[in-house]
Amino acid sequence: MHPDLHRKLAQSWLLIIALMVAALFWLLPRSQINSSVLALLPQQQTADVPQAFSDGFTQRLDRQLMWLVSPPPGAGVQPANDWLTQLQTLPELNRIAGPMDAQRQQEWGAFFFKHRNALLDDATRQRLKSGAEAQSQWILGQVYSAFSGVSGKELANDPLLLVRASQMAQQQNSAGMTLDQGWLMARDKQGRSWYLLHGELKASSYDITSAKHTVAVLSAAKDAFEARWPGAKVLGRGTIFYSNYASQQAEHDLSTIGAASVLGVFALILLIFRSVLPLLLSLLSVAIGALSGTVFTLWIFGEIHVMTLVLSTSIVGISADYTLYFLTERRVHGEMNSPQESLKKLFPALSVALLTTVAAYLMLLIAPFPGLQQLAVFAAAGLSAACITVMCWYPYLSKRLPVGPAPGLAIIMRWLLAWRSRKAVRFGLPLLILVLVVAGISRLKINDDIADLQSLPADLQQQEQQIAALTGQTNDQKWLLVYGDSTEQTLQRLEALRPKLAQAKEKGVIDGFRALSLPSQAQQQRDLSLLRQRTPQIIAQLQQAGVTVANPDLSAQTVDVPQWLNSVVSEGWRLLWLTLPDGRSATLIPVSGVHDSAAMAALAASTPGAGWIDRKTEFSSLFSQYRVYLTYLLALAVAVIAAIYLWRFRLPHGLVCLVPTLLSLGMGVAALGFSGHNLNLFSLLALILVLGIGINYTLFFTNPRGTPTTSMFAIFMAVVTTLLTFGMLVFSSTQAISSFGIVLSAGILTAFLLSPLTLPAKKRGRKK
Amino acid sequence: MKAFLFLVLTFLSVTAHAVTLEELQQRFSQVSVLRADFAQQRTISGMAQPLNSSGNLLIAQQQGLWWQQEKPFSLTLLLTEKRMVQIMAGQEPQVVTADNNPQMFQFNSLLSALFHADRKVLEENFALDFKDLGKGAWKLVLTPKVSPLNRLFRSITLNGETFLNNIDINDMQGDATHIRFFNQKTTPATLTDAEKRHFAS
Repeated sequence: MHPDLHRKLAQSWLLIIALMVAALFWLLPRSQINSSVLALLPQQQTADVPQAFSDGFTQRLDRQLMWLVSPPPGAGVQPANDWLTQLQTLPELNRIAGPMDAQRQQEWGAFFFKHRNALLDDATRQRLKSGAEAQSQWILGQVYSAFSGVSGKELANDPLLLVRASQMAQQQNSAGMTLDQGWLMARDKQGRSWYLLHGELKASSYDITSAKHTVAVLSAAKDAFEARWPGAKVLGRGTIFYSNYASQQAEHDLSTIGAASVLGVFALILLIFRSVLPLLLSLLSVAIGALSGTVFTLWIFGEIHVMTLVLSTSIVGISADYTLYFLTERRVHGEMNSPQESLKKLFPALSVALLTTVAAYLMLLIAPFPGLQQLAVFAAAGLSAACITVMCWYPYLSKRLPVGPAPGLAIIMRWLLAWRSRKAVRFGLPLLILVLVVAGISRLKINDDIADLQSLPADLQQQEQQIAALTGQTNDQKWLLVYGDSTEQTLQRLEALRPKLAQAKEKGVIDGFRALSLPSQAQQQRDLSLLRQRTPQIIAQLQQAGVTVANPDLSAQTVDVPQWLNSVVSEGWRLLWLTLPDGRSATLIPVSGVHDSAAMAALAASTPGAGWIDRKTEFSSLFSQYRVYLTYLLALAVAVIAAIYLWRFRLPHGLVCLVPTLLSLGMGVAALGFSGHNLNLFSLLALILVLGIGINYTLFFTNPRGTPTTSMFAIFMAVVTTLLTFGMLVFSSTQAISSFGIVLSAGILTAFLLSPLTLPAKKRGRKK
Repeated sequence: MKAFLFLVLTFLSVTAHAVTLEELQQRFSQVSVLRADFAQQRTISGMAQPLNSSGNLLIAQQQGLWWQQEKPFSLTLLLTEKRMVQIMAGQEPQVVTADNNPQMFQFNSLLSALFHADRKVLEENFALDFKDLGKGAWKLVLTPKVSPLNRLFRSITLNGETFLNNIDINDMQGDATHIRFFNQKTTPATLTDAEKRHFAS
């Protein structure tokens, strides 16, 4: 390349950098750092539920909090009241609900009385359908029973005992909880009472800053409460606790792992080069990489995710590789070649290495994870910028670099010589690794379960189990969603679905479900005609049995959705109803104890306007789908590489060159087997990077213009920096990230160990 | 609520000189099977005649209570540790368990408390007033002090001598129920096969 041209290129690169800085200042106020854990998950692909509904419900449910408070034995409900008052003073919370006071209980009964003809329960409806006899017998049974408490007043007001029947049906829904002085209360096996409270967050559970604050406030409140009431216990449940835990882990990873890896890389450079200049140059290329990565990510996505920042610290190691490769070359050959000549010598290897790595990262775009897609763009833009910086500027900037032999030359020479002359190394090492690979893979389990990607802390898990045992409500967020163009259509569809659900429960497909019990207008009309048809007979039959009652009021007492929502009777149910501004409505049916998710999906599919939402199973199947997908992609990439090798190096060397690549992939997977991790989507993503990064080592060696010793030294540096950065991920407490780190470290280390295999025979061990 | 019945019926076997609640409670736990007839009269405000019914009952220490109303129509109540079942001719049995309706089932815990002579639990729910009436006769007045009992019942009064003979229940609404027990038997001390089947269902 002509020096003038190169100078022009260097100047234009400076201009581009300046533009990027300007772009960053323009973008920053217009974009945000996204800290929502949800944004990392794939967009829900529930084709059979309109997005507005699933979003609406998800946002709402993710804000819910519940507590169970157990007073010290003998303290009564006073501590529960105290906890309630304490929660009510917290500005972060809304709509704290505790006991139902006497007035609301009265209102509750009054509403049922006022609308008794419209709010028939299933059992009463069945009795009326089968004939007057069934209902009159049932009424007699209640009246004659000494302990049912039917009074003359009740009979006079509600001769058909409709209110009594519907309240009994309501109680059937109480999931093992009883009322104690207006509180919903459950007893555990030790006989302790647990009182239930509900509340709502004002902010989203997924907002990292506010979630951290709220969790801290709640935990302080809990400590204060337990200090005031020794022996009292509080259990909490809510999405916020999980998302806060996840983001705290991420933050912790970012601060410790990120810092450790950056410091490690720079310490290594100082140690090896014994000069500040390479450190500054590495810093410069890393900084420019980060600048370009940030600008492109913000420009394409309009935001950058906190987790992207965590993962992008790992790119520091790779972007430093280019600088190190160039500086090593200059250090060793600085006296013989001009910087431009050095660049010319390294250009093929540098550019191909950049291309393969960028290609590997861009493959991550295929995975449907917003976080990984951002990482891919960040890495591709960042690495390119770092590499271009090396090519354009460093021939000038490295002029003052002290010249000297490659450090550790003797060891490198011996190592390369061994590869050439000792069959034990040349054949033994690959064979040994092959044995390890086979052993590791034989222990490997495949697991796409999303739940295994992050292990929850023991105390959260324990609370969760206790709450599930007390209330019978698990937290596994599976539900049916029924929707329609109007409230009426939605309710009618719900009515059509109810018998199917009861059947599913009978068959053991599910353990239970909670569906709101407001009849549709059509159903209320049908019930009313049925009542009017049967009543004369019922009254006559009661008369015959000696129970004289007045004729009941059979006026239409219809209830519509707004009335129901505004009354006390929908308390505890309102969350399950959503009406959009355009009138479209939906209701949620939480389902517990799902034994056959596919059967539920089929049940929903067979009902118009119903969808089965099971995020966990959905994600797990999505994971497995993409894992298979990426496996094919990886196989394709390996095939392409094999073809290129064979074309460039001919047989047999082309095949030999393929050995490090294949074994590095195998070893990455085998390491998972040895460490007891499972193979999942993230392992495959890591393998793609192993391929993309590991191949660089082969490229540096097979560069016809390069010197093996220099290459070896540059590769050694590159491996150590990569291990310092990706290897650090192993220590992440998030399982997905740590298994990602294990695959990468093991794979890249193997690629490094075996890379001398790819030296052309005549070059191996030859002096520079 | 049926459990109250149970609770009070366990006083059926007492010795002639037993005049303390503790002794009564000690006695009933020694009777393994008890059979009796009952006659019940409910007086409901606003109704011309009282409602009369009659039948028999069986209390087994191990299995629970079997309450069989025969007149004026058949109505069966079964109460065990785990469930309450109401059976009427030509209708689906109505089953109440601790899971599906703990509110109604709460009384079962009272029952087991009695089995363990747990006077504390009784006193958590009622104010107790026990009177020795002389000549082996006694009276126990239970006044509910927690909801929902105190919203339903004004008081429950038990009378007896060797056995429990009468229960009087006064509702808050001014209605009253009077149950009389007679023909109490404590033998045979084991259940017949037919009786076992009641509880096996």
